[in-house]
Amino acid sequence: MTGWLRRLFHKRVTEERLDAELRFHLEQRVKDFIASGLSPAEARRRANLRFGGLEQVKENCREARFEHYIHDLLHDIQYAFRSLYKDRRFAFVAVLALALGIGATTVTFSVLYNVVVDPFPYRDFQHAVVVDLHDLAAPPHDIARYHYTIPEFLAIRDQNRVFDDIVGNYQLNVLYRDGKGTRRFLGGYVTTNGFSFLGVPPLLGRYFAPGDGKPGTPYVFMMNYRLWQTEFQGNPKIMGQTFILNGKPRTLIGIMPQRFNGYGSSLWLPLDLGLGAEGTVFPVKDPDVIWVCARLRKGVSLQAAAADVDAILHRLAQANPGELYPQRFKIVVRTLLDFVVGDFKETLYALLAAVSMLLLIACGNVANLLLARASVREREIAVRASLGASRGRLIRQLLGESVLLAGAACFAGCLLAYFGLKGLVAIIPRGPIPEETVIGLNPAVLLFALGTAVLTTLICGLAPALHAVRGNLSLRMFGSGKGTAGGFHHGKLRSGLVIAEVALSIVLLTGAGLMMRGFFALTHVELGFDPARTLYARVTRAADFYDNAAPSELEVPGKKALFFEQVRKRVQALPGVLTAAISLDFPPLGGAGSEITVSGKPSQQWESMVDLCSETYFQTLGLRLLRGRLLSESDIDSARHVAVVNQAFVRTYFGSEDPLSQKIKFNVFDQLPETPHGAYFEVVGVITDFKNRGLVAPVRPEAFLPHSITGFDDRMIMATTAVEPKSLLPSVQREVWAVDSNAAVTHSGSIKDFLAEEAYIQPRFSLITISAFAGMGLALVLIGIFSVMAYHVALRTQEIGLRMALGAQHGSVVAMVLWQGLRLICLGILIGVLVTAGLVHFLAGQIAGVSVTDPLTCGVVVIVFLGVGLAACLQPARRAARFDPLIALRYE
Amino acid sequence: MEQEKVEVLKGTLDMLILKVVAFGPIHGYAISQRIQQISRDFFQVPEGSLYPALHRLEDRGWLQAKWQETETGREAKFYTLTRAGRKRLSAEMVNWERLSEAVALILSTAE
Repeated sequence: MTGWLRRLFHKRVTEERLDAELRFHLEQRVKDFIASGLSPAEARRRANLRFGGLEQVKENCREARFEHYIHDLLHDIQYAFRSLYKDRRFAFVAVLALALGIGATTVTFSVLYNVVVDPFPYRDFQHAVVVDLHDLAAPPHDIARYHYTIPEFLAIRDQNRVFDDIVGNYQLNVLYRDGKGTRRFLGGYVTTNGFSFLGVPPLLGRYFAPGDGKPGTPYVFMMNYRLWQTEFQGNPKIMGQTFILNGKPRTLIGIMPQRFNGYGSSLWLPLDLGLGAEGTVFPVKDPDVIWVCARLRKGVSLQAAAADVDAILHRLAQANPGELYPQRFKIVVRTLLDFVVGDFKETLYALLAAVSMLLLIACGNVANLLLARASVREREIAVRASLGASRGRLIRQLLGESVLLAGAACFAGCLLAYFGLKGLVAIIPRGPIPEETVIGLNPAVLLFALGTAVLTTLICGLAPALHAVRGNLSLRMFGSGKGTAGGFHHGKLRSGLVIAEVALSIVLLTGAGLMMRGFFALTHVELGFDPARTLYARVTRAADFYDNAAPSELEVPGKKALFFEQVRKRVQALPGVLTAAISLDFPPLGGAGSEITVSGKPSQQWESMVDLCSETYFQTLGLRLLRGRLLSESDIDSARHVAVVNQAFVRTYFGSEDPLSQKIKFNVFDQLPETPHGAYFEVVGVITDFKNRGLVAPVRPEAFLPHSITGFDDRMIMATTAVEPKSLLPSVQREVWAVDSNAAVTHSGSIKDFLAEEAYIQPRFSLITISAFAGMGLALVLIGIFSVMAYHVALRTQEIGLRMALGAQHGSVVAMVLWQGLRLICLGILIGVLVTAGLVHFLAGQIAGVSVTDPLTCGVVVIVFLGVGLAACLQPARRAARFDPLIALRYE
Repeated sequence: MEQEKVEVLKGTLDMLILKVVAFGPIHGYAISQRIQQISRDFFQVPEGSLYPALHRLEDRGWLQAKWQETETGREAKFYTLTRAGRKRLSAEMVNWERLSEAVALILSTAE
C-alpha cells in the first residue's frame, strides 16, 4: 500500500514503467498481426489504430492511482501559494500570529514533557515509588514523615509483598580535609542495591556491590560528576585514591555520569544494614532517617502497595507505641516523579492552559482574516463553482491556504520555540525540577508542534472554507462581494470571534495581573531587617554526628558554645560587619519545632518554634522588645534557663495573662542527647512578631533560648553588614578555620539571594511566563480588532459615503465606527470577567497572598483593555471619516 | 475477425480480469487475448479500458505486479492475484450469479 508513496517520489521511473508496459502490449499485437500474414507496416498501422491514443490511455492509468490525489493537492497548494503571495501583508500577519501561538505552546509543552513525562534517565522510573506516613489528625496534604528508622526499613524490606526492589538512604554532611582547610560535601549512605536499582552505569570504575559497607571491609565511596569536575577538575587519576572523609580514609571506587542525581548527594557511601555496619549507629536510638525508594511489582497499584506497607507499620506501631507514630496514621505510596516534581506540575498545567488560550486567540485571528478574505473573494469562488469546481475541490483549495499558513507558522513557531526555550530555561526554578532533566526540543515535542499546526489548520481553515461555499453559489455571481455589508451574515461570525478573543485575553490578563500583585506582595513582605545586607553562614563542626560517633566524642555544651562565641566575635570584628549573632536558623524560616508544656496548665498539644541564639540576635534582626527584657550576655555565659517569646506565643497560649515569669518546658529536649532534660524555661521578655514560617504563612509562636544550653546541632552565624554580604564570605570562612580547622561553612550567602533562590523563583517563573503569554495575547487581540474593524469599514464604504453625502459630520462617522468596535470589546470584556470569576478556584491555588477576586486588578485590566481596544478602532474610524463621498459612491 | 465484437459490460471488466489473473501470473496483452479467446471472440477488451482497470486493481491491493521475462525473453509486467483480490473475486462472482439469475427470471416470465 505504500507503493503510491514510492511512485510519487519516483515519478520518472513510474512513467517509464507505464510506457514500457503499454509498448510491450503494442509490440505483441504487431507481432500477432505479422504472424497472421500482414506486412510489418500494415501490422503497425492496425495495432496503433486499435490501441487508440497512447497518451489518453496513460492519463487514464495515472488517474486510477492514489498518488493522483496527491498531485491534485500539490497543485492546490501551489495555487494557494500564488494567491497568498499576492496578499503578502495578510500572509505575514497570519503566519506571525500562528507562529507566536505554536511557538509559545511548543515551549510550554516541551517543559511539561521534559519535566513531568520524561525527566529521569533511570530504568523503569515510572514504577519507582516513595512511602509517606500521614497523620490522620493533620490536614490531608501534610506529610508527618517520609523517613523511617532502620528497624522500620528492614521490616518493610523483608515483609512486603508489593515491591520488586527497595532502597534505603539517608544524607549526611561529609567533611573533607585537604591542605587548605575543611570543606563540607553533601553525602549519602545508600544501600548497596541503590545503583543497580536506577540502572545507570558508572562513568568510571564500579558501583557498590553487596558486601561493601560490611564491618571489616575496606571503606569505599563514589562521587558524582559535578563534584568530580568542580573539586578535582575531572582528573581521572583520582580513581582508586584514598581520601580522608569524616576522619576516615576511604577509597574512591566509582564516578557517576553527568546526568545522574540519584539520592541527591554529591558523594555516596555504602549502607549495609547488618549488625555493626558503618552508618548504622546513631547518638539517639533508632532515629527516623532512612528515606525509602522502591520499585512496584508488576501489576501492583499504588493503593495496594500502600495497604501492604500500612499493615506492616501498624504492626510495628502496636508493638512499640511511642513518639514515632501519631495516634491514627495511614501510609500513602506515590511515584518518585510526583515526589520530586510535586506542586510544580500544577503550575506547568496552568501555564499550558494559559498558552492554549493564546493559541486559540491566534487561531481566532487567522480564522477572522481568512473569513474576511473569503468574503472578498465570493465572486471568484462563485465563478469557479459555475465553471464546474465541486464543493469538495473548492474547500480543498481554500484549506490549501491554511495548510500553507500553518506549515510556515509551524516552522517559524519551532524556531521561536528554540529561542524561547533558551530564555525559559534561564528563569525556570531548579528546585522542583529533577536535576537530571534536560529541557529542549526533542522528537516528541516537535511532533506535538506538528500536531498543533494540523489542529490550527482545521480550526482556522475549515470554518471559513465551509462558510465560503455554503448556500447557492451561483446566486453570488450577482452580488458584488463588497458593498453588501453583512449580507451573508459573515459579520456575525467575525464579531463572535473577536468577542471570544477579547474574553480569552481578559482571562489571561487578569491572571497575569493577579500574579503580579501576588508577587509584589510576596517581595514586599515586611521582614523587619534588610535581607540585602544580612549575611548567613551555617557552620558544621560535629563531623561524625551520624557516623559511628561514640557518645563520649559528642560536643560538650560549653565547648561548642565557646567555639561559636569565638567565631561570632571574630566575625563581628571584620571590617564591614555591623553586628553578628548566633542562631539555629534564620528568618523567614525560623528554628526547630517542639511540643511544649506550660507549668501550671493542663497538658495539651501545644507547639512552638524554638531558636537557640546569642544575646546579639535581636539587635541583628531589628526585633523590638515589648515587655520585660532581652537575653543578656550573662544568660548566655551561664546557660540560664530563660526564654524570650514573640507576640504570637503570648496571644496563643497566655491570652490576657501576664506572660512574664511563666515557665515552659520544650518536650523535644527530652528526646535529644546533650540537651537539658525536663527543664522549664522562665519567660523574661516579649518581642515583636516577624515572619518565621515562610513569607506567606502566618507567624507562629516562637521562643528564643540561650544557645549555650545545648551542644546539639549546628549553628548559624548571622551578621548585618555595611557592604555586600557576599564580599565577606571568604573572610568568614577564614575566621571559622582560624578558630578550628576541622569546622566547615556549609551554606552561606545573603538572605536576599536565599529568598530569590528559594521563595521568589517559582512565583517569578509563573509571573514572567504568564505575563509574556498575556502580552502576546493582547497584541494578537489588538491585531484582531484592528483587522476586523478595517475590513468592516471597507465593506461599508458605500454606506458611509452615502451618509456623508447626506450631511453626516466627520465626528459622527468616527463615533459610529468606534461605537461598533466598542460594543464588541465590551461584550468580550463582560464574558471574560465572568469566565475569570468562574476560574477563581483554580487560580486560588496558583497565587499566594492575594485575594483572587481583587477588584483593583480587574479594574486596571478592564481599563487597559478599553484603551487598547479603542486605539485599535481609531485608525479604521479615522479612515472612514476621510472617505470622499463622491469617490465612495462611485466605487464599484 | 469479421464478426462484430461486443465491448465488455460496464462493471464486469474488473471481475473478468480478476478471474483470468486467478489462473496464474499473466501480462496485460495475454489478459486481453485470454478474455477474447475464452469468450470465443465474443468480448473484445479495448486497451483504453484494460490498462486503467489493471492499474486501479493494483492500487486497491487486489492485484500484485512484477516485472518478469516472458518465454521469448522479453521483460513484461506480470500480474498475480493477492489474497484480498481472491476474496474480491468470489464476492463479485456471487453477486454476478444473483444478478444473472434475477435477469433470467424476469426475462422468462415477462411475456
